[in-house]
Amino acid sequence: MEPSVSIESGSAIRVAVLPVGGPIPPACLRDYAVLVARHARVDLAALRPYYSEHQKSPFAHQPWDSGRLRLKFVLGGCVPSPWEDFQSSRKVLAVVGICHLPSSPDLDRVAADFVDAARSYPSALANRCFAFCPTDAQLVQKKRDDIIMFPPSDQQSLELHMLTMIQDLAASLLMEFEKWVLRAESTGTILKTPLDSQSSLGSEEVIKAKKRRLGRAQKIIGDYCLLAGSPADANAHYATAIELARLTGDVFWHAGALEGSVCALVVDRMDESDPVLEDEVKFRYYTIIQLYRRATLQDNAQRVSPVSFELEAALRLARYLCRRQCAKEVSDLLMGAADGAKALIDASDRLILYIEIARLFGTLGYKRKAAFFSRQVAQLYLQQDNAYAAMSAMQVLTTTTTAYHVQSRKNSKRDHGLLKSVVSLFESQWSTLQMVVLREILMSSIRAADPLSSWSAAARLLRLHSFPLHPSQREIVKRNPNKKDWWTGGGPSGPFIYTPFTKGGTSATSKQEVNWIVGEPVQVMVELANPCSFDLVVDSIYLSVHSGNFDAFPVSVNLPPNTSKLVLLSGIPTQVGQVSIPGCIVHCFGVITEHLFKEVDCLLLGAAQGLVLSDPFRCCGSSKFKSVNFPSISVVPSLPLLVANFVGGDGSILLYEGEIRDVLITLTNAGTVPVEEANVALSGKNQDSVISIAHSTWKSALPIKPGGEVTFAVTLRAWHLSPSDLEADGSRSPTNSRRIAREGSNPFLDIHYAGPSTNSEGDNVSLPPGRHLVVPLNICVLQGMRLVRARLLSMELPARFTDAQLGSVSSTDKISNDRDVMHNDISLLKIDPYKGSLDLRLLELELFNPTDVVFDVDVSVHLDGTTVEQKILQEVKSAGSACHKTRIDRDYSARVLIPLEHFKLPVLDTSFFVKENGSDEPAGSRAATLAEKNAKAELNASINNLISKIKVKWHSGRNSSGELNIKDAIQAALQASIMDILLPDPLTFNFRHVEDGTAAKSDFSKKLGDDSSHYADESVLRWQDPISANEMTHMEVQIRNNTKETIRMNLSISCKDVAGENCFDENSSTVLWAGVLSDIYLEVQPLQEVVHPFSIYFLVPGDYSLQAASVIIDATDVLRARAKAESPDEPILCRGSPFHIHVVGTA
Amino acid sequence: MASTACFVIVSKNDIPIYEAEVGSAPKKEDLAYQHQFILHAALDVVQDLAWSTNAMFLKSVDRFNDLVVSVYIFLNPLYLPGSRITSSHFDTKVRALARRYL
Repeated sequence: MEPSVSIESGSAIRVAVLPVGGPIPPACLRDYAVLVARHARVDLAALRPYYSEHQKSPFAHQPWDSGRLRLKFVLGGCVPSPWEDFQSSRKVLAVVGICHLPSSPDLDRVAADFVDAARSYPSALANRCFAFCPTDAQLVQKKRDDIIMFPPSDQQSLELHMLTMIQDLAASLLMEFEKWVLRAESTGTILKTPLDSQSSLGSEEVIKAKKRRLGRAQKIIGDYCLLAGSPADANAHYATAIELARLTGDVFWHAGALEGSVCALVVDRMDESDPVLEDEVKFRYYTIIQLYRRATLQDNAQRVSPVSFELEAALRLARYLCRRQCAKEVSDLLMGAADGAKALIDASDRLILYIEIARLFGTLGYKRKAAFFSRQVAQLYLQQDNAYAAMSAMQVLTTTTTAYHVQSRKNSKRDHGLLKSVVSLFESQWSTLQMVVLREILMSSIRAADPLSSWSAAARLLRLHSFPLHPSQREIVKRNPNKKDWWTGGGPSGPFIYTPFTKGGTSATSKQEVNWIVGEPVQVMVELANPCSFDLVVDSIYLSVHSGNFDAFPVSVNLPPNTSKLVLLSGIPTQVGQVSIPGCIVHCFGVITEHLFKEVDCLLLGAAQGLVLSDPFRCCGSSKFKSVNFPSISVVPSLPLLVANFVGGDGSILLYEGEIRDVLITLTNAGTVPVEEANVALSGKNQDSVISIAHSTWKSALPIKPGGEVTFAVTLRAWHLSPSDLEADGSRSPTNSRRIAREGSNPFLDIHYAGPSTNSEGDNVSLPPGRHLVVPLNICVLQGMRLVRARLLSMELPARFTDAQLGSVSSTDKISNDRDVMHNDISLLKIDPYKGSLDLRLLELELFNPTDVVFDVDVSVHLDGTTVEQKILQEVKSAGSACHKTRIDRDYSARVLIPLEHFKLPVLDTSFFVKENGSDEPAGSRAATLAEKNAKAELNASINNLISKIKVKWHSGRNSSGELNIKDAIQAALQASIMDILLPDPLTFNFRHVEDGTAAKSDFSKKLGDDSSHYADESVLRWQDPISANEMTHMEVQIRNNTKETIRMNLSISCKDVAGENCFDENSSTVLWAGVLSDIYLEVQPLQEVVHPFSIYFLVPGDYSLQAASVIIDATDVLRARAKAESPDEPILCRGSPFHIHVVGTA
Repeated sequence: MASTACFVIVSKNDIPIYEAEVGSAPKKEDLAYQHQFILHAALDVVQDLAWSTNAMFLKSVDRFNDLVVSVYIFLNPLYLPGSRITSSHFDTKVRALARRYL
């Protein structure tokens, strides 16, 4: 990118101006450069004397009488552009050397120097070395061709001399152009851009390049015609070039030729401004931008991107159109160009782009836009790490100050009164922007090592920042040196200076103590009354201090007749010690008087008695003033001052009920003393909503130096709204307003901090006071997901023939494991209402989403430390697939089922029935009550344990997540049947398939030694094998006693087919069996199990279910209670869950 | 949709009378300032455009990189020039609305 490009810049001849020879004093160099550069336009008519036509000029239509050459002088030269073949105006076509002869006596050296310097510009067609201020000795030397001397003379003749020299240079350039064009027309020239050199040179490419060569040559000849000041010739060549480029698909050069043609058009009709021309330029330039964009897209893969040409074209057009009338169009063009900044690889290109955009917006009158892009420029400068860049940044930022209303002090003097100006500056402007800009100015001026700018920026920044903090945020707490928690009991707790509960009545007589701090402004409120009937203009009023350690700030006040006014008089304590403020000094009507506060008493008293003329009604309670005690004011050394800020804004934190969110708090030390120690605690209401505070973060940042800051996270969980809150809110606006903002329900962060303890006077360590900062956490809770109800559902589910049963083993401890496996795989359960049941209890949670966002609900059950999330049965989904997340749309409800089978206690114990039986027992024995209490506590613990395992988590949007509070609801739902959920059945039944008797068993127990994954693989295989018909199947039923007593029973085993017919019937023709199947007398030891083997022979393939049931003989009270038997004679029946078998045919 | 946004009400003479950073809060302060700078710069465009259209809502009038500025133009006859909007209820409402849509 090049700076200040315009449509016409295609017609300017670039001339490098280089200082040569000895060092040139900067002032001289500037003068010489100005002398050269003022001749940016040379009329063709003036060239005639220096021009001689050697051949027939190729510029047939050169306007010798009206045309001109344009020169663009580049002081210091420039790096050759890789694109100079594409646009000849990028070439340095001439080199001018500037030499200050007094510092370079040797002319040969100068000449050699210039030749050296010019060598780096191979494209230059003409070179001149200008030497100024020759000494007498140099003047008398032989006249040289290679150095043009400018003898000392007056300015006018010097300028004239320079003009002729430049005209001579221009004429020789013109002749060189003619030569160049003639040569190019006859021999042709190969023109390349970095785009071409990047592409692979396949044979096809070479042919293509040959075809394109002609068009490109025409374009370049056009460029030279333009430079030679002959737009008509240029136009003709460009027209040919455009045609050729279009035919050969040379998009980039097409755009270039088109751009040249617009330049020719504009230069040709420079002095006219007609709308037709403007429309033509606009139309062509939009085409050019399109073509460049196409070229960019084409060459996207290459490292060199011509995107800068597209942007430059946009800038050229914007500069051409830059008028208020075209503001919209220009602004669109510039915004489009700004978007292109991302595509620019080179940082300096981006810099130039932003500078140009800022300049054009400034020309357009868009001051704010200009300031915005200037700031972008400054930021790019600040990324470079050198003093010059910082200086540039500072200067650029200074230009933005008017747009951002960062007025200098001089401007604000117009306001009368310092106080007023501070306030108005702070309140009435966009203070955030002002502060940021000032801070950046300060930063850059520090880097640029400019003390004056730093000082003024810092001073202005201070003025902006020095808004009065709330007194509670700078409260001073006296440190108790004997306590580690020095803040406890140190200062007044709460907002009241006096409370009747503070101990000791001595404070009543003692004087009030006030502490001020060195360097922190204080304000004293003074009431002024004007009893006169005319306006009283107080030029300045300030506190009078005789102790000399206080700087008082004067203010001016205007008091209307018969009024009183409260005025805040401020100042800064400067030294440690006592301060006495007897009154204030008033400059009024050219008279300086000191008004003493003491005299106010007498004055008021006198006024009351009619001795003094004043208006007693304007003064409040004169009699009270008599007993007023002036506080004794002592100034303490500087203290640290922490200021808290919430990252992302200080507004209230909006959370849904139960939402968990991290809030970042930044503590900045605005004082002049480091913070050495600090303590962060919680106070206020709803403290439990703060889950954690990242104490380690701020602790590691200690000590916080002046100006230092630390950011730490506080994790919040929104509390739940009480029903009254909801009602109150609902009545206000039933549909929309679901937010609850309750004043005073927020927790506070109490931060106590202190600076270092100073070691003064020997070993006496004096403790300066600490400080107390209260940061309110303004949490605003929105109504979130609602739990409509929780209820218990009993489902009857037959067990399937699962791998667990198939692969079960005889070892007892394995069984419980298997049972877990079975329970964990509820996805294998299938509801079958026609068969016997496994009594499955489900907790149904009905959730309602009253908010206006979508919630994703995630129910999980934590078992033994590990989360098992697969046990969620969705009503809407088939029971076979476990659904992990439930999405609930706004104003919809959803139900979530949670199986409750995993909560059974391992042992059915008598103690659980104490509570129920307790009522029967006569109230008496202490031991019984104690046992009852214990049992109750144990029961409650297990219930709580159960409930705490169920968690309902939700997510909403990208960054809201939380947990639903469902404890109470679950407890209420489970209350009635908690026993059924927690207590196991006295007997559990389990069927196993034994292959070939003991052989399979031993086989399997061997496999147990392998790792569990292997085991799992094995069991999956077995599960896929159904039982085949017409084969003897060996089964066994396993009965476990869950009580602590021996149980005797009569066991029966039944087998039902799909129709529900009993297959172990005499008449059944579907199943044959061996072994005893009914009235089996068994006795099971406490917490042990027995196995009863039998064999079945299925004749007909199909689905069968096995079920075991037993009648308990001589059931104990516990068993009766568990079975909820109504009469003592009732037989106690214990039934196992049905066991599903799939039998396939052998055919 | 951008996850972060800045909402500012500006009165005469570029005086912001209400400011709110909404959406997920930017993690760096600099970014938050950048929003305000972009909004401030957009006022130039808005000032011109406001007189050339009847529309009160100027959708995407300005942009910088991937940040887009949309503007509503209102006239409140009851507004006391120079005063700021300090109502916490208003603030809460703005943030609640922002949460719904961001």
